[in-house]
Amino acid sequence: MIELKIDNRTVEANEGETVLQAALRHGIEIPHFCYHPCLSIAGNCRICLVKVTGRPKLMPSCNLAVTPGMEIETDSDDVIAARQAVMQFITLNHPGECGICDKAGECRLQDYHVRYGEPESISLEPKNKKPKFYDISPRILLDSERCILCSRCVRFTKEVSGSHQLGIVERGNHSRLERLESQPMDDPYSDNIIGLCPVGALLSRDFLYQSRVWYLEPIRSVCTGCSRCCSVKVWRRNRHWHLRSLGEEMNRKVYRVTPQENREINGPWICNKGFDLHKFMGRKRLLQPMIGGSVATVDEALSEAKKLLAAAKSPAALVSAHASNEELAAFKETLGSRMTVYSREDYKAEEGEVVEDNILIRENKNPNSHGVHAMFGDLPWSVDSGHDLVLVWGDNVDYTPMGNAKVIHLASFEMPQERHADVLIPISTTFERSGSFTNFEGKVNRFTKVFDKPGLVQQAGDVFGRLGA
Amino acid sequence: MSCLTDKFDRLRATYPPEMNSSLVLPLLHLMLREKGHLTESDAIFIADYLGVPAMQVKEALTWYTMLHRKPVGKHVIKVCRNIACSLMGAERIIDYLKQKLGIEAGETTPDGRFTLLLVECLASCGTAPAMQVSDTYHENLDEARIDHILKELS
Repeated sequence: MIELKIDNRTVEANEGETVLQAALRHGIEIPHFCYHPCLSIAGNCRICLVKVTGRPKLMPSCNLAVTPGMEIETDSDDVIAARQAVMQFITLNHPGECGICDKAGECRLQDYHVRYGEPESISLEPKNKKPKFYDISPRILLDSERCILCSRCVRFTKEVSGSHQLGIVERGNHSRLERLESQPMDDPYSDNIIGLCPVGALLSRDFLYQSRVWYLEPIRSVCTGCSRCCSVKVWRRNRHWHLRSLGEEMNRKVYRVTPQENREINGPWICNKGFDLHKFMGRKRLLQPMIGGSVATVDEALSEAKKLLAAAKSPAALVSAHASNEELAAFKETLGSRMTVYSREDYKAEEGEVVEDNILIRENKNPNSHGVHAMFGDLPWSVDSGHDLVLVWGDNVDYTPMGNAKVIHLASFEMPQERHADVLIPISTTFERSGSFTNFEGKVNRFTKVFDKPGLVQQAGDVFGRLGA
Repeated sequence: MSCLTDKFDRLRATYPPEMNSSLVLPLLHLMLREKGHLTESDAIFIADYLGVPAMQVKEALTWYTMLHRKPVGKHVIKVCRNIACSLMGAERIIDYLKQKLGIEAGETTPDGRFTLLLVECLASCGTAPAMQVSDTYHENLDEARIDHILKELS
């Protein structure tokens, strides 16, 4: 432990820590653009300058190791003056277009400009012109005029994703972020650089001009893309900004998915599949209970299912790896003891998808296989086990291997089938319920309901309760 | 490219095996001498040869203006426009060269003989104004010296 004084407050820092890290850890805010806790220190933005007693010049706190007895000032007049000067320099060529910039409202440059910026630029030179819509990849646009060259994104591709697909080319006034001309960025973690960008230079094409961020609110959820179970923020429209003129669809919509920092599981990153979670959840839904292919009410479907269950001599259940731990427990309590339980994996890796890497992506493309196996074992389904009824729970199901057995199917999404299930009951998606998944390491991660489920859609736990009663 | 990789191999043999990044600039210079100008695909070629990220070589290639990225003439005239040379009349020298060659700065004469480039300090402030033609320095320039220098160049 090293003791030092920051703004006359005695704080304890760890050996090897920098002044900026120690200050942030003790809740002392020092502005910073290029510093990021999970990236190497670049020290290029200079907004984090602080005064060190006994040193003639201000020092960048991000690259200044703590020493015993050090005395730091973070808000003296000369530090504030230096920040103002740095802001003048950083905004020298920055276009004042917050009004049309997606980043506005969650932009470091905007925040610091409010605090340290001056109303007018002191420069008399015209602003530098650079490419406005440079395509980094089919997912990401770059506005070079907004870029402050902090190099966070470049360091991300070097140090975290390892793709080395971005770099800063040319020099001085001509410096700009670029990729190889012959190779659009195809890094499976590329979308992290959008949130990593401290200004509005890197833009998500999917979210481009979709909403001002202050109309949205994040709900903590879990990505269902693989068995890592990364924490994510699912951004819905804030209730206070539900407007009739927008219509139901815009009010009830996931605008974007971003990483939720979780040191235990995913750190501050997720993969692009996580950023696309709302597209996965936005596929065509199953909304109507059916009996043998014709429309039925919920009650009719449930009583038909109950009848089939009562008549079955050898019932089996195929349990979804997208089910939450709570739903699995409900199933175990109500029906689990009456039938042979098999585990199934709803999804496999699709063609072109990264199957597994040593960063985050796992080979099992379902969130809760661990939970299913822990509760029911991992007996795999086989065609000729001689069951006369199969309760299938989950999506992406093919009925063909069920043979002549009766099928009761609980699913969230529509999918074309050669034959109809005997009973089909629509169930909620992860966005429409709260619960938890257990990831491949046995770590439990909780998710919160984002939206209410549509009218006829059921919660799987309730269905089992009624079938078991 | 095979004769080029022979040259690469010879240069590489003079470096410690783990110092691949240090070879980026020497190889770019070597390739520039062979090809006259370098493009992104040349950067990728060097990156593949060294086993370093292509973006790293592209960053180095675009950083240095002496690594030409457009075709240049037989003689590349680099005129200093920094402060010492400007005080000593570099602007006049530049105008004279433009008029004499019939091109603007950054252009190449239609016959492909001369390219005129403006550069920052050539480290010849004591003998300003100065220019560099290919690898040769010419100092204390005036119109008559320029006439003489251009005449000497074949």
